Amino acid sequence: MWSAIPGEDEGEYGRKAGTIMRNGLREWMNGHITITIRGKRFERFLNMAVRQGIQVWNIRRVGSEVSSCDILVQDYFRLRPLLKETGCRVHVQKREGFPFWLLHLRKKAGFITGVALFFFGLYMLSSFVWNIEVMGTKKLHPETVIKAAAQVGVKEGVWKVKLKEPQDIQREMMQLIPQASWIGVSIQGTKAIIQVVEKEEQEIPPPLSPRHLVAKKRAVIQTILPEAGKKTVSVNQVVNKGQILISGIIGNDQRQKAVAAKGTVKGEVWYISNVSVPLSRTQYRYTGEKQQHQYLLVGPYALQIWPWQVEPFAQAESSEKRYSPSIAGYALPLGWKTVTHAEVEPKALELSQEEAVALAKQTAREDILRKAGTEAVIQDEKVLHVKRENGKVYLSIHFSVIEDIAEEQPIVASPPSPDPAP
Amino acid sequence: MRRWSRRLRNLAVGVLDLPQDVVLEVPRITMIGHLQMYIENHRGVLHFSEKELRLLLTNGQLIVTGEQLVIRAILPEEVLLEGRIGGVKFLEKT
Repeated sequence: MWSAIPGEDEGEYGRKAGTIMRNGLREWMNGHITITIRGKRFERFLNMAVRQGIQVWNIRRVGSEVSSCDILVQDYFRLRPLLKETGCRVHVQKREGFPFWLLHLRKKAGFITGVALFFFGLYMLSSFVWNIEVMGTKKLHPETVIKAAAQVGVKEGVWKVKLKEPQDIQREMMQLIPQASWIGVSIQGTKAIIQVVEKEEQEIPPPLSPRHLVAKKRAVIQTILPEAGKKTVSVNQVVNKGQILISGIIGNDQRQKAVAAKGTVKGEVWYISNVSVPLSRTQYRYTGEKQQHQYLLVGPYALQIWPWQVEPFAQAESSEKRYSPSIAGYALPLGWKTVTHAEVEPKALELSQEEAVALAKQTAREDILRKAGTEAVIQDEKVLHVKRENGKVYLSIHFSVIEDIAEEQPIVASPPSPDPAP
Repeated sequence: MRRWSRRLRNLAVGVLDLPQDVVLEVPRITMIGHLQMYIENHRGVLHFSEKELRLLLTNGQLIVTGEQLVIRAILPEEVLLEGRIGGVKFLEKT
């Protein structure tokens, strides 16, 4: 480089002119002050300060002989010879940055310790177990679980640090509560949650008392499948109501035993159903005309708002919608109601004889199945008689239905024979 | 001697295609609108007020006029000026 020119030589300035970017973090960490400088030769002072490598920024004129600028705290005492030379006077206006912040903190030491103590106290208080929750108990009383937990060391007011490992607690609690098949202990904040899974005990069905299966209705046996007991009837046999189908008494004459008879018995049952169907009927249909009435609800009263005057329909179906706002679960006394009237008109409907018969059969079938039970199957149906009278069709239909006809009848021990008369 | 050096510099600018501000002792000024002004290669502050900044250059003076002028940062050879800059003027050393 052409070092002949003074000023090119970087050694003179002690700092290489390069970046002018300020480092805000460094300024803050070192601490900086805003100073006001009073004096006629401020520019001279500024040039000298800059040459000496003092960081100066935010320079502004405040008055005719007063300027303000920011400098680092550490440079403050380096200004003194410059001030003496230029005859300026300095005054510190503002202090900012970490060192001043520390000083500020020292003044409020009491407050700071208070804050620290508060957080410490919060931490300490949150490191205790303050309540215990037992979940999942059905037959077991939660109290017994809590007692067992206390024996292991999990109780209210215990320091969490002193607790054993959750696995150990679980194992020890399992030994104390044999009814549980699994115990989980978890600590959430200041709450200890003990999850208990009880052993499921197999439910033993109550022993059935000895019984027979008897016929519910008069029927012809279709199928008979005994599971327990002795079959007393055979297929295609006609049985009367109350007749024993599967006997609960097994064994021969010498050795007898009463058991609970079990099995399925299906029989063919005959029903005769009489139905009547009117040939003409009225049906209501919507015409498509609608009226909407708006009401304001005030307490128990409904106030019609709109429309004021309308001709009501001769026949109509009405539906209403209510809107009653509530705030936080409290219903307001004000509300809104919309009633919609849809006009309907009657229409006479004539049925032909075939249609009436089909309808009658349908209703009869439904009726029979209701009587015979859900598993019943209609095997056969026969129209016995059709009669048309007074605008109605009378039908009697014969149904043969396969249905479960077994009914339980307990075997009552025969009362002891009365004392022989003297 | 001085005249020789100047000639040599002008030659370097012409022949080697070097930027003028590097070789010649002139300021390099960057302006961002009328808001900010960045001046390199100055030789010191002669006068500074709210309305005017007068900088010493190797061959004269640079006068920046404007309003609410603030020196955001200053280094021995650089100045970052902010405010509402109205005009820039060179005074050649006679």
